[in-house]
Formats: sequence, C-alpha cells, structure tokens
Amino acid sequence: MVENTPQVHNLVVCTLCSCYPWPVFGLPPVWYKSAPYRSRAVADPRGILKEFGTPVPDDVEVRVWDSTAELRYLVLPEWPAGTDDWTEEQLAGLVTRNSMIGVEKARSPQETQQ
Amino acid sequence: MNGGHDLGGMHGLGPINAEPEGQEPVFHADWERRVFALVRAAGALGRWTGDMSRFARERQHPADYLGHSYYENWLAGLLKLLVEKGLVTADELATGRAAGPANAELRRRVLHAQDVPNVVVQGSPVEMPAEKPPRFRPGDRVRGVNRHPTGHTREPRYVRGRLGIIQAHHGVHLFPDLSAEGVRVGRHLYTVRFEAAELWGENSNCNSTVYVDLWEDYLEPA
Repeated sequence: MVENTPQVHNLVVCTLCSCYPWPVFGLPPVWYKSAPYRSRAVADPRGILKEFGTPVPDDVEVRVWDSTAELRYLVLPEWPAGTDDWTEEQLAGLVTRNSMIGVEKARSPQETQQ
Repeated sequence: MNGGHDLGGMHGLGPINAEPEGQEPVFHADWERRVFALVRAAGALGRWTGDMSRFARERQHPADYLGHSYYENWLAGLLKLLVEKGLVTADELATGRAAGPANAELRRRVLHAQDVPNVVVQGSPVEMPAEKPPRFRPGDRVRGVNRHPTGHTREPRYVRGRLGIIQAHHGVHLFPDLSAEGVRVGRHLYTVRFEAAELWGENSNCNSTVYVDLWEDYLEPA
C-alpha cells in the first residue's frame, strides 16, 4: 500500500504485462492493460494523470510503481477535505478503484451529492 | 527478450481512452470470456509456469503483439504452449478436432467448476528460502545491469544501465528468467527507486520517480 499525501501522488502500472491485484479488484480494466497506458505511465505520468482529469501540481512528487515482480501495489488515496468526522463506511463510499490505481483522487463529498 | 511487450517509454501508441469506471464490461466479447477460461483451465494442467505463459505471449513478432488486443495475445501464447508441450498438435488446431483422447494423467487434472474460484484468484507461491545473504541494503546505490537476454526477463529495457537507489528488500522470490525455462530457483528481490531525469533525461517529467521491483541479478553496485 502506497500512501498519497499533499506532497506525493502515487500511480501503479505494469509495463511488461498486466500485473494487478486481482484478489482485491478483480480483472483489470482494458485501459490498464493497454499499450498506451503501459508505455506512458513510467515516462509521462503527469500527462496520463491529466488525461484522467487529475492534474498534479509540479511541487507534488509523482511516484510511479512498475509491478515487475509478484508484489502488488494499491494506492491509499489522500484523505478528502471536509470528511474529518466521517465514519469508515462513509469514507469507503468515496474510494474508487481508479483512485487506488492512482489515476484519480478519491471522490469529494460534493461529488457524491451530485 | 527485447520484445514488443517491453513498453515502458515507447511513443506513438495513442491516447488511453479509458472507459469510465463502473461502465466497463468485464469482457467485451464472448470469445474473450472463452479465452480467459481456456487459459486458466489449461494452466491447471500443470505443464507450465506463469513465467512460461508470459514468455509465450512475448515470443510473438512485435507487430503482432502490438496489433493484438489483450486477449488475442493470451490466445496466441496459449496456442504456442499447447503445441510446444505436446498437448495439442498443429493438425488438431487446424481441424478443431481432437485426434484421440487425452491421457489419464491429464484427465485427472481437469479443472472442475467448484475449483474455479480458487484457481482464478490464487497465484502460486513465489517466496523462496534464502541460500545466501542479500548483496544490497536499502539506501545502496545500484545500476540496472546492461543485459539483453533473448529469454524471458523482468528487467525492463528502460532501467538497464540506469542509476537507482535500493528502496526495500523483499526477501527471496522465484527468479522469472529461469522459471520461464522450468527451473525453480530464488533470488533476492528489491524495489529500486529511479529519478525520472535519470531514466528519461533532464527535460522529462519534473519531480517524478519510478519504483521498479528488480531481482539481484539485474543489479550491480554503483
């Protein structure tokens, strides 16, 4: 588990094939296994993140995890603002699969109301 | 091998065009579901390792590998292994008919419906006993060995010759280069941190790093 903070944003890829935490997430989405994602995630992570609507400021370090062995990586998304008093169950509703691959952030309370 | 699968840093492969989360079917066609099932069922016959499976997919013409969809690559790898391991003949593949019954040993390994959930989510164990102490410790400076084996390897091209720092040591894991040849030996495994500028040049993505899991044979002191 790699943790996102105000200083660090993590992103997971498998450049050589499609390694992915199956027991937790099920089968990976097509884009995760695709050549465009696999080729660019390590060399142009900020470009990828922008494509997913997740621009990351230059002063935030982007860490890319290339799953080349049998270790599997999950991203712990940054704690969404305005949810300090939320229960675990309420918070779980904000955590998407994409946010745990690292291409998006956890949803905000405002997004869930829409 | 320096095949079409080793994609890190390649250009020109287009936009990602991700389907929105929650609106993605698991399979996009019935044949994909069937290939998935065939690969898992054939894997249960115990004739090859996961690394042999990966290597079989990699051993395609790069134009084929890149032109294929994901499950087309799975099928290409499966057909190669079925023939190479003598489970199916080229004639049987061409006609779509078995020339005769499978032998009893194979029939005993048929994957039954009740065993499917375990087979689908469980990998085979990869942690192995240590035969010698690790060569590197967290914080050590290392370089990806500039090696270009024609067999299977999990050292991506983009780290070869590049400087990194050992981030973590994970004990001894099954060594894929030899596992792909059917030899079960372990090697120390590390996570290595590389600066983007070291991998991609000074003008590359600023303030980013790449963490890669690399076996000891892929690393040298720097």
